[in-house]
Amino acid sequence: MLRYALTRILLLALGLLVASAVIFGALRILPGDVAQMIAGTEGTPAQVAAIRAELGLDRPLAQQYVEWIGGVLSGDLGNSLLTGASVGSELVAKAQVTIPLGVLSLVIALALAVPLGIVSAIRRGRPSGTALTVVAQLLAAVPVVWAGLMLVVVFAIVLGWLPAQGFPRAGWDDPAAAIRALLLPALTIGIVEGAMLMRFVRSATLQATGEDFVRTAASKGLTRSQALVRHGLPAVGLSIVTVLGIQIAGIVVGAVVIEQVFTLPGIGRMLVSDVGERDLVMVQGELLVLTGFVLIVGFLIDLAHHAVDPRQRERT
Amino acid sequence: MSLSPAPRLTAAAIVAAGAIALASCSGGSAEQPTGAVDPDATLTVGLQLEPTNLDIRRTSGAALEQALTDNIYEGLVSRAEDGEVVPSLASDWTISDDGRTYTFTLETGVTFHDGAEFTAEDVVATLDETRSDESMIGFPSLQAIEKVSALDEGTVEITLSEPNQNFLFLLTGPAGLIFDADDTTDMQTAANGTGPFVLEAWSQGDSLTFTRYDDYWGDPAGVADVVFAYIPEATALVAAGLDGSLDVLTAVEADLASQLDGAFELAEGETTDKFILAFNEQAEPLDDIRVREALRLAIDHDAILERVGAGEAQYGPVPVLDPGYEDLSDTISFDPDAARDLLEEAGVDDLTLELTVSNTYPTYLSTLLASMFADVGVTLDVETVEFSTWLNDVYSNADYELSLVNHVEPRDFDTWTNPDYYYALADEEAFDEVRALYAEAMRQTDPDASAELIAQAARVVAEQHPADWLFTRSDIVAIAPGIENFPVSATSTRLDVSDVTVSN
Repeated sequence: MLRYALTRILLLALGLLVASAVIFGALRILPGDVAQMIAGTEGTPAQVAAIRAELGLDRPLAQQYVEWIGGVLSGDLGNSLLTGASVGSELVAKAQVTIPLGVLSLVIALALAVPLGIVSAIRRGRPSGTALTVVAQLLAAVPVVWAGLMLVVVFAIVLGWLPAQGFPRAGWDDPAAAIRALLLPALTIGIVEGAMLMRFVRSATLQATGEDFVRTAASKGLTRSQALVRHGLPAVGLSIVTVLGIQIAGIVVGAVVIEQVFTLPGIGRMLVSDVGERDLVMVQGELLVLTGFVLIVGFLIDLAHHAVDPRQRERT
Repeated sequence: MSLSPAPRLTAAAIVAAGAIALASCSGGSAEQPTGAVDPDATLTVGLQLEPTNLDIRRTSGAALEQALTDNIYEGLVSRAEDGEVVPSLASDWTISDDGRTYTFTLETGVTFHDGAEFTAEDVVATLDETRSDESMIGFPSLQAIEKVSALDEGTVEITLSEPNQNFLFLLTGPAGLIFDADDTTDMQTAANGTGPFVLEAWSQGDSLTFTRYDDYWGDPAGVADVVFAYIPEATALVAAGLDGSLDVLTAVEADLASQLDGAFELAEGETTDKFILAFNEQAEPLDDIRVREALRLAIDHDAILERVGAGEAQYGPVPVLDPGYEDLSDTISFDPDAARDLLEEAGVDDLTLELTVSNTYPTYLSTLLASMFADVGVTLDVETVEFSTWLNDVYSNADYELSLVNHVEPRDFDTWTNPDYYYALADEEAFDEVRALYAEAMRQTDPDASAELIAQAARVVAEQHPADWLFTRSDIVAIAPGIENFPVSATSTRLDVSDVTVSN
């Protein structure tokens, strides 16, 4: 187990290093630069050059990369080219919106997907089960943006229960208002991701129904549903954890989009505007942290799998 | 220039516009104000375009000027809504007969927000720094200055190398703002000005908060706090208006404005925002004036204005608010037949042109143009790019055929005198004439004579058909009941909220 974990940690570090090089390189392909954005359409070429030099953008790329990575290794993600703000502290500030949004979305997705997935599997072939499956199919196909706007129309504009956009200026000093602001966006991501997860829970449950140990249990007098719940579901749980890893990546992507729709000052919104403004040092830091997050989730799930599933343990 | 406020998620916007239209009957019933002005009120203004940072000396951008000028920072002079130059830190000024020496009398009792006293030395130090440091945004504007000196504690004299009719106006922009000479404030994220408001907080991606400066030298601000809430998506902005979280909304999309009617009073303000469809005269066959004229003849300006929903036609380079404006509608008309004839005469058929446009503008503009051009046999390929890409490809490298961009700066006629500008005139004779006329206009000491010369230069430009001025944007401002004195003109570059009051 320890050897396995160490190998995985090495792979994780290697993955991050490769990701950092890819991120750095890919961003340099983008046309335009922040110096030009700063100078605007009144700026002269000499002015743009002066700004570039001042920001250190005229240094060789390799040098810029090494300096950036050196900083990252010592815990310093650098400073915004545009605002001079520390990338790390900006990320921490924006994470206070994005992380609660992600957690809330995940909770909503799970709360919808697990019970409904199991029910639709148990009721397979019956009208209620079919209806659930169809609804899940439809919801999973809905673009997050559209779902968000529909929820805004219903809950914010028609009913007036929740704010249509924005995050309270007091932030988490006013927890009730903060949660109210996050409810609609989290519901949006939660419903769409939950619908996808539900289809998975359903098929995993159905698969478990076919497993020998469930059939054996059923043959000993339990009803099919009882056999499934007592013996099948624990086995399903593990594969759900794996899919959750993928869902978390989906939630990160969903957050980038939904923060635009709901004007939430989170990491996703920061990322989009920083790319647009070519604040590459900010974008590098944001992407590296997001990539790291997704890789670490994958790593933890692998580790959990390894610990729980004896079949995997034998192989290493 | 700034990015015109427009939805990033256009498709979503259309869906939401319809949905909000359905829902709006139940939205936003405003409370009736009782009429008493509340000096402790907070004014919340919804805007679309957020400043990228707060360093107004080193970053260009209409959003930055809009938020900070006059509210936080002040110059010797400022400008009124109609563009007229008015006193600010200088209570008065005289201009010598030769038009080269400006003598400013400074206000007394002025302090910076950190408590430091404002002196003539601050004026000299600030202007000298701006005109000598090339990375300063105001650098080009102050190159006309020969010398800045403090005559005494309350008087500053500026000497120009030659008369410059535009000089005072340039001082109303970022180039003329005055800062504390000994200041150590990090201007990227904080501010230390002399204005009626103090910068309280900046939550990037969300809002700017100002509070009233109690030691302000002039009339105290009408409200205790101001929040500029930045909501980039047009539909989200309107939704925020409908859910009651905003007192004023600026730059409302005309399509969506009707949703706010009733709960808000809608005002339409003039701007100097020019939507310029530039033709690259270096690129074939746009180097042929007949082709450029044909393209302009193919454009139905009335149809564009009807679709945009607010704004006015502009047929030449000078908008109504700027000196030298005249109606140039006689230089071009909407005549697709004449356009087809001209294209045939120029010997081009099966013409395909590429339009490079920033993704910050509504797509319907390019769609409309494509169908109008198709009608005269020209295929328009629309290349939608990010604004930073536009700056690189079109603005810096002039690598384009057609470009569409909203130039918001007032009095920017001088772009037509810059041979390296991305839409420079190729016809040397016309270009030299424009340059000479404009230089003469700047040397004039009489404003009317100067404006007359600019008008002449503008006509020469318009007749070269280097671009089409699709329209001058109008700014729809939605103001809630009880809000008084909110400015409605030219708000995209200047939004002085110090006189605004809120009644409860």
